[in-house]
Amino acid sequence: MIGKNRFGISAKIITGYAVIIVCLVISIFVVNNQLSTMQKERNFIIHHDLQVHSLTNEIEKKLLEMENGQRGYVLTGSERFLKSYNAAENSWRDDFNQLYSLLADNPSQQNNLINIKKAMMSWVNETGEPIIALKKNNKNAAAVKGLQQENSIQNVENIRSQFEQFRSTEISLTEKRAAHLDSRNKNLTYGLISLLVVVIALSIGLALFISRSIVNTVKEVIASIKAMTSNGGDVSKRIFVKTKDEIRELAHATNDLLDSVEKRDWLQKSTNGIVGQYQGKATMNELGTTFISGVARSTDASYGAIYVRESMDSKKFIKKGQFAGTAADVGRDVFTIGEGLVGQCAIEKSPLLIENVPNDYILVSSALGEAQAKNVIIVPVLFEGDTIAVLELATLQTFTEEHKALIENVTKTFGLTVDSISGRMEIVRLLKESQALTEELQAQSEELQTQSEELQMQSEELRMINEQLEQRSLEAEGKSRELLQAKNELEEQAQELSLSSKYKSEFLANMSHELRTPLNSILILSEMLAENAASHQLAEDEEFARVIHSSGQDLLHLINDILDLSKVEAGKLEMLFNEVNMSELPQQLERNFAHVAQQKGLDFRVAMENDVPPLIYTDETRVQQILKNLLSNAIKFTERGTVAVHISSQAPKEKRVEANHWLCFAVSDTGIGIPKEKHDHIFEAFQQGDGATARKFGGTGLGLSISLEFIKLLGGTLELESEEGKGSTFYMYLPSLPEGVTTLASVEEETVLQEVAATVEVEEKLPPNEQGALGFFSGKTVLITDDDQRNIFALKTALQNEGMQVITAANGHECLTLLEETENLDLILMDIMMPVMDGYETIQAIRAQEAYQDIPIIALTAKAMKNDREKCLEVGASDYVSKPLKIEQLFSVMRVWISNQ
Amino acid sequence: MNDQGLSQEDYLTPMEEMEIDLFLEAVYRLSGFDFRKYMRSSIVRRLQNRMRMERATTISSMQEKLFHESGFVEKILNDFSINVTEMFRDPDFFKVFRHTVVPELKKLASIRIWHAGCATGEEVYSMAILLKEEGLMEKTTIYATDMNEEVLEKAKKGMFSLQKMQTYTKNYLQAGGSEAFSEYYTADNHFAYFEPSLLKNIIFAQHNLVTDSSFNEFHVIICRNVLIYFTSELQNEVQSLFYESLCTDGFLGLGNKESLRFSQCATGYEEFSTLQKIYRKKH
Ligand SMILES: C[S@@+](CC[C@H](N)C(=O)[O-])C[C@H]1O[C@@H](n2cnc3c(N)ncnc32)[C@H](O)[C@@H]1O
Repeated sequence: MIGKNRFGISAKIITGYAVIIVCLVISIFVVNNQLSTMQKERNFIIHHDLQVHSLTNEIEKKLLEMENGQRGYVLTGSERFLKSYNAAENSWRDDFNQLYSLLADNPSQQNNLINIKKAMMSWVNETGEPIIALKKNNKNAAAVKGLQQENSIQNVENIRSQFEQFRSTEISLTEKRAAHLDSRNKNLTYGLISLLVVVIALSIGLALFISRSIVNTVKEVIASIKAMTSNGGDVSKRIFVKTKDEIRELAHATNDLLDSVEKRDWLQKSTNGIVGQYQGKATMNELGTTFISGVARSTDASYGAIYVRESMDSKKFIKKGQFAGTAADVGRDVFTIGEGLVGQCAIEKSPLLIENVPNDYILVSSALGEAQAKNVIIVPVLFEGDTIAVLELATLQTFTEEHKALIENVTKTFGLTVDSISGRMEIVRLLKESQALTEELQAQSEELQTQSEELQMQSEELRMINEQLEQRSLEAEGKSRELLQAKNELEEQAQELSLSSKYKSEFLANMSHELRTPLNSILILSEMLAENAASHQLAEDEEFARVIHSSGQDLLHLINDILDLSKVEAGKLEMLFNEVNMSELPQQLERNFAHVAQQKGLDFRVAMENDVPPLIYTDETRVQQILKNLLSNAIKFTERGTVAVHISSQAPKEKRVEANHWLCFAVSDTGIGIPKEKHDHIFEAFQQGDGATARKFGGTGLGLSISLEFIKLLGGTLELESEEGKGSTFYMYLPSLPEGVTTLASVEEETVLQEVAATVEVEEKLPPNEQGALGFFSGKTVLITDDDQRNIFALKTALQNEGMQVITAANGHECLTLLEETENLDLILMDIMMPVMDGYETIQAIRAQEAYQDIPIIALTAKAMKNDREKCLEVGASDYVSKPLKIEQLFSVMRVWISNQ
Repeated sequence: MNDQGLSQEDYLTPMEEMEIDLFLEAVYRLSGFDFRKYMRSSIVRRLQNRMRMERATTISSMQEKLFHESGFVEKILNDFSINVTEMFRDPDFFKVFRHTVVPELKKLASIRIWHAGCATGEEVYSMAILLKEEGLMEKTTIYATDMNEEVLEKAKKGMFSLQKMQTYTKNYLQAGGSEAFSEYYTADNHFAYFEPSLLKNIIFAQHNLVTDSSFNEFHVIICRNVLIYFTSELQNEVQSLFYESLCTDGFLGLGNKESLRFSQCATGYEEFSTLQKIYRKKH
């Protein structure tokens, strides 16, 4: 992939290294060169100069040897000197030549050397040889003389100085050369250092260049990859590298990888997208529709349909979703297994790709027209090895490999989902069904209850009808009996009539007797009056007249009373309500009764309070009549003392009518009084304290009953306060009624006198439906268990009044014993707080007995104790009532628990 | 068993179905009471019952009576109205209500409760007693409705047969009543009369869940053992009526055998008590 003229990283690095190595080699070569030159030079200095010096010295030494040898020989004549002379003389020229050749590069020194040679030659020739020859020739003296010759010595000295000069020149030359060598050496060091610097700089530069060129591209790649990851794994971008190296290759490879990742990513995303969409769908149709549209969109298909198997035992595949560009219905709705391509695919369980679609296979229609599908793919959806659904897709293009992979991918999971949804739907269906069934059952049971209630009602109706029929026959029977009875009654009445007429006649006879007696007196006395008219005995006359008068008055009273009473009883008496002037009443009373009282020697007092209104509305005559009755009674029954009338504005405790004003007339006396037990009787007609009294005081005894009746008619009440022997007071309360008495309450005496124990609030008002209550409770047996005798007493009285049988127990033990003895117990009232064995224990003990499982037990608890109540229920009480008991509540509860269900 | 010309209740011929359709249509047109979406099985049983009593052989003949026999429509309406109820029916419901819902209600300044399908009022009196004991009586208004005016009249009287009082007492105690049950009634030989003060904040009104719409917003709606007579379609309709009529965080109490689970409104509620079918409307 990479260009031919690539320049790889290794090449770069190798080039870098090569450059550096070459530089190093060159520098080593140069240095080496320098070093060897210097070596040579040094060697030269060492060999050449040393040789030059030593040769020079050698020649000089040989000169000296020659001189010595010559002189020794001359002086001694010893051959040994001559020999050393000869040896030196023979060899110095070699040395000289050698030296000369050594100095080939230095002509000036050669010249100097030649000069030295010349001098030496001349010495040898002019001094050395001739002298020796002299000696040999035994010319000793001449020889010695020769020796002593100035110039011979001078000559040697000259030569030696020449040598000295030569040598110093050579030394300076050597020094010069050494200095040169030194400077060369320094230069070399400098050169070496600069070479090193250059090489280092070069290698660093190269290294930087190469590494940068590598790192930059790597950085580029990293940046691109980072950009991808930071973009949430956006793999759509690609890496671009300008260099032509391995990094580029890496980028290319990475790009390839990205390509495949992108494809996989797309596959994964599309799969997830489709799978995610259809997750949580509740129905198959929803599932099918979302699935097929997801798949079709992702594969660019223009048509799609999903067929789901009805059930695993079914051969039918039903279309559960479709996708098409238009709303038009595409494809068939149902396939059976094996039918058509879809059915075939279901059997084969492998995908079917049709690339050359027959012309009439599928026309994909859009808003713009219809087109021929190019590719059709039919894929089975498998679950546990069975085809659970079949997917069909058609496209106008071709399905790519990715498309196929996607289809394969999504169908894999789809099978599971289809199965789980059908499972879930089945569960939901079953749950719904069971819910519906539950409701249905409830409805049915309620219906049944209603029906049974209806039946109950019907049977009750029937019973009622039966009862009615029975009653009718009874009635018929009764009627005949009634007829008989009526006849009997008639007879009886006739008898009664005769009887009552007998009474009447008796009464009348009585009366006539009563009437006759005063009348007799009148008759007799009037007769006597008439007879004695002449005698004119005034005192007697007067007495007679008084008796006549009083008898006549008695008679009149009696007759009036009888008349009134009979009228009252016949309801014929009417009260005439009118203004009554109260201010005049005291005088009136005084006028009428003061003298009567005085006659009996009694005090008579009338007092009226100031707050009594001047005018009231009532029946004046009747009031007067009543007062007269009361007062004459009072006077009649009082032997001594006082009779007094006290009038005040005061209402009675129990009003029978509503009025703005009430007056109280208290008529009191200090007479014989009325014994308590007679209080009720004295108002009855023909009753007085007792027979004896009647005889003693006379009178008919009608007065009080008439008065009472009058008072009632006037809307008032009469109360009596009396003690035997001390006197009596009658309190007459009268209302002022401008309109008269409109509603007269029935005169019934409610005196429910009940002993009330401290803890029991007995309400005196009784429930409205009272009649028959006696029937409800009567005959029922109640067991009261309470340690407080007052409670027991109060309850017992109240319950007995209702006609109940009451058994009492003072504690739990007693209760249990009584239970054993009693039969037909209807209810138990159980106090909770009892000593020894409390209510809870007792209830538990009762409930433990087979026979008393269901007997109602009502616990009597303290009001504030909620726990108590719970405990009561725990141990088996049926209900509880809290203390202090309200009798009405207790009755209600007892009704509830006694009523037989 | 069936000699009345009507097939077994769970299987009706299409003809009979049609007859019933027409019959119910007639009832609706004649009386305004719509039983067309009531559970067929229940309707059929009630009709069978009536047919037995009337010795009728076909539903069509019953339909004739509808039109021509005076008082027959009322009879049918009466047949279709099942008013079975009890005080503190399902005591645990009231117990759970007392312990879980009441604390929530205590937070409110005023409370409106709707008893839909209250029948003869036992449920309403029970609620009133519960609220009184919890000290909520004063700030609560109870709307007790039923489609059957006759039962409403009974409900207003607060007068229940003595024979049932033992059961009611047991229920009351089981429902966690905090007083003596007898504090609330006085009894004569046939009936127990509930304290009129309980009625102070109760409004009885005729209301038909099928044909009438919402009339207020409530904090609690109690509709127990009414929906069991409805098809699921009608149940859904009534449930959405309840949903509309309930304020946010409001409570819906259903009968023990009923459920919101399959209702369309289910998502609008959270289960407040699963066992006792008390639901709470979500935000
Ligand atoms: C079985 S009682 C339930 C009484 C009470 N809620 C209980 O659970 O004890 C059913 C009541 O629902 C009433 N009802 C039936 N359909 C109704 C409707 N469409 N609208 C109002 N009330 C209806 C009936 O009249 C009957 O009183």
